[in-house]
Amino acid sequence: MEFPEELRYTKEHEWARTEGERVRVGITDFAQDALGDVVYVDLPEIGAKIQAHQPFGEVESTKSVSDVYSPLAGTIVERNPLIEERPELVNEQPYGDGWLVVIAPDDPRATDGLLDAEAYRSFTEDGAA
Amino acid sequence: MPRVDEPAELKHTPLEIEHKALGAKLGPFAGWLMPIEYAGALSEHEAVRERVGLFDLTHLGKVDVAGPGAMGMLQQVVTNDVEKAAVGEALYSLVLNEGGGVIEDLITYRLDEERFFVVPNAANAQRVLQILEETPADDRVHLMYHQDWCFLAVQGPESVHVVQDLFPGTADLAFMQCVESEYKRRPVIVTRSGYTGEVGFELFTFQDIAHDLWRALRQAMEPYGGAACGLAARDVLRLEMGYPLYGQDLFESSTALEAGLSWAVSFDKGEFRGRASLLRQREEGLPSQLVGLRMHERRHIPRAHYPVFIDDQLIGEVTSGTFSPLLQTGIGLAYIWPADVAAVGDTVEVDIRGRRGAAEVVRPPFVARSPR
Repeated sequence: MEFPEELRYTKEHEWARTEGERVRVGITDFAQDALGDVVYVDLPEIGAKIQAHQPFGEVESTKSVSDVYSPLAGTIVERNPLIEERPELVNEQPYGDGWLVVIAPDDPRATDGLLDAEAYRSFTEDGAA
Repeated sequence: MPRVDEPAELKHTPLEIEHKALGAKLGPFAGWLMPIEYAGALSEHEAVRERVGLFDLTHLGKVDVAGPGAMGMLQQVVTNDVEKAAVGEALYSLVLNEGGGVIEDLITYRLDEERFFVVPNAANAQRVLQILEETPADDRVHLMYHQDWCFLAVQGPESVHVVQDLFPGTADLAFMQCVESEYKRRPVIVTRSGYTGEVGFELFTFQDIAHDLWRALRQAMEPYGGAACGLAARDVLRLEMGYPLYGQDLFESSTALEAGLSWAVSFDKGEFRGRASLLRQREEGLPSQLVGLRMHERRHIPRAHYPVFIDDQLIGEVTSGTFSPLLQTGIGLAYIWPADVAAVGDTVEVDIRGRRGAAEVVRPPFVARSPR
């Protein structure tokens, strides 16, 4: 199970990567493993406003459907163009080509309040899901 | 007589260590800790549809019903006509309550003139045993629950070669035929049956050879690209065939007729539990029926308990649903009411968490596969 050091994490199992003034978001390795094979991803339109810790999309596997929560408040500026045709990327490269959206945050420092890799790893190891 | 323990905690398959060694995700199912998936439900599904897959199904019940009164007892309890099964044949049946509601679906194997092997669902084994015990027999019957047996399934087009390797002669078995064979000098019941829609075999034997048999089967299927498969893949496979699952699509509040299982009911064999109610319902018409739903769009996946609508009228509820890897779209089973509110070919809508998704009413199987 991977927990890249440079990312920030939520207790709902999303990751956030700061890229200049924007933040790229996806679901974690732990989340994709728990979900099983992803067959569909529902994402908001570009321009949509999203709230911190509120569901902004859905990831559906053969077994079940799960909400994806936004790590921070902001505006969707990109959505992964590959994911509709290849939802399995979420399983194969959760921190790479399986990313979900890029957000322009309302507060540029919003990721500071998220978990770091070590804290998130402990959280998952405590049996939280 | 041996009793099935009430599941105070999860029961364990003797093959748990094998599953863990393969990196399986284990999860609770019907009171047992069972492998849910190994490499992933999609690749396991593909292995079974195209090559061969191996399942541990030890959670299912295994009951011997033997003696001169066995036939008479079974005939009163199950819906199908057990007389129709010759020695070496198996029969799908239901057990109903007096109202015709489905208590259980099970397979009865006739191993000898007066010896039957009954396989109920895990959650119902105790109940079925109790019903059999309470049924008056006109002659001696020996009931025996096999706590010390395991159950493996080998499913997929290449399964014939894999099973033939270990059990010579089984390639000649026809669908729903069974034979008593042996492995390492232990008895093994080999049957040509399954729950996947593919050609396949099911194997029942003592737990003390479970590891040897599991490993031998894995080795035998390796040249064919076989895979260990979990209950998640099995659920997708059975749903593509439209096979109802007890507890999900079959329950006591719906009758055998509403569930579309009249083919497993023999009205002319004489009295059995639930017969009068079914006859009455057949006269009066069905209040609901189980149908297949095939979603129009890939992104719409029906799930259990999603409501079904025609315009603003609530007409049904989904009981099982998944994404069909073969069809690349969502499929599901749903009860609709009244039974004639929609016909095959009609379009209905499933409420998917507040959004409507259009679905065609179909008669399963959803995919053109056959276990025969």
